[in-house]
Amino acid sequence: MRRRCLPALLALAFCQPVVAEELRSGYTYMEPATQAMQDDDFLNPGFFLVDEGLRLWRQPMGPAGQSCADCHGPVEREMKGVAARYPVLDAETGKLVNLERKIQLETARMGAEPLAYESPQVLSLTTLISYQSRDMPMQPEITPQLQPFLERGRKIYEQRRGQLNLSCPQCHVDHAGDKLRGDVISQGQVNAFPIYRLLWGEPGSRHRMFEWCMQSIRARPFERGSDEFIELELYLVQRGAGLVIEAPGVRR
Amino acid sequence: MPALVLGIWLQGFGTANADGLAPLTGQPGDPSRGEALLLDMQRVSCLICHRISSLDERDQGQIGPALDGVASRLDNMELRQRIVDARVFNPDTIMPPYYSVTGLVDVADLYRGRTIYDAQEVEDVVAYLLTLTEEANR
Amino acid sequence: MAKGVKPRVKLPKTAAVGDTITIRTLINHKMESGQRKDSDGNIVPRSIVNRFTAEFNGQSVIDVQMEPAISSNPYFQFEAKVPESGEFVFTWHDDDGDVYVLSKRIEIS
Repeated sequence: MRRRCLPALLALAFCQPVVAEELRSGYTYMEPATQAMQDDDFLNPGFFLVDEGLRLWRQPMGPAGQSCADCHGPVEREMKGVAARYPVLDAETGKLVNLERKIQLETARMGAEPLAYESPQVLSLTTLISYQSRDMPMQPEITPQLQPFLERGRKIYEQRRGQLNLSCPQCHVDHAGDKLRGDVISQGQVNAFPIYRLLWGEPGSRHRMFEWCMQSIRARPFERGSDEFIELELYLVQRGAGLVIEAPGVRR
Repeated sequence: MPALVLGIWLQGFGTANADGLAPLTGQPGDPSRGEALLLDMQRVSCLICHRISSLDERDQGQIGPALDGVASRLDNMELRQRIVDARVFNPDTIMPPYYSVTGLVDVADLYRGRTIYDAQEVEDVVAYLLTLTEEANR
Repeated sequence: MAKGVKPRVKLPKTAAVGDTITIRTLINHKMESGQRKDSDGNIVPRSIVNRFTAEFNGQSVIDVQMEPAISSNPYFQFEAKVPESGEFVFTWHDDDGDVYVLSKRIEIS
């Protein structure tokens, strides 16, 4: 009897819904004018990047004169859903890669000029590819191999740091919805990136936002494109799994 | 610098007990300078997280409790300890330590080894907060 | 040329005689006011689009002079009554002397 109960009890324990925070996109914290700017594909400045990304997708790069499209085919078909499951393990390098890193690796493989992480080219292609997953839920596949990366990402997320000695969840979980100065703190979800941020007056990547956050608490940020930021990104994608991709988003 | 801090310590400044912390300097805090510090957007103002109704300032935070009437609840030593390092009362507090670098991780180069306020600024802010005896009119 | 500046225009391809059509225009531009300082305290030089015009078959439809307080990515939406088939030409003038031009045909039935 006891033997049979234990697995049953274990199963029950795992089936219990974890008391999860209700997921809320940053969109829901924005003012109506900002929401309207995101909703209108004409007004949304992110579509300049979608257009530029499409031009780059078809542009031959490197000595072989091949474009992304030459191997992959039409972006609308071949990249649909890709952004929703990134970051992933890169088979060749064994490293965790996000879209930006993957684009850097692929264009380097083609022999193109090395592209900086936050270059307009990488940002445009990332926006184009992310846009192909618009309205699809973020759904990373957490394989056993990904667990250690996820765990490191969680530690970075929970580590208090900087002169202000704050961790991400102290604001983005414990005080989401509360006002910090004149601004409302969001859950810090990453489903709309790359975003056009009104404060910057230009678009930026997830890692640029992480960097901005860390600088705000007077911490030394990791580098954009670093392993640490990609691990944090993986953790945040997993944390927000189920939220739909809004790229290109518009934020305050 | 460590010698200076030690010197202040030996004179009995900044002495802690269970509930609070004695003055950090021999010069009494100046409430008007404290108020000016709070209103300085370039500094890590209390108003980022707290509300003070008597101040004519539109954007005030809601993270911590309102500071209206705080002087009727806490004395100068308790206030000072909370500003210097509130982790003494609650290790998990969200309140940043304004006059301690203990246990800080990955501080940006510009701020490494430096506290948010200096000792006299802590005294000035304490002096200002001690003027907040009135609860807000609701 | 200010890098990556690209205009965008939306208007119907066809309309009936006497229809009032809506024209939407947007250009991605930083619109640096010339009043901001960088982190070293130096003034960031002004760089804005200072004039926007629309013409239809060579005739002026709208002519806007812009000032430094206008936000980035200036957006104009306006209406026009189109008497005949023809071409709209939209022009943006940059402080740095660059001119960005976009044209769109419309057929009137």
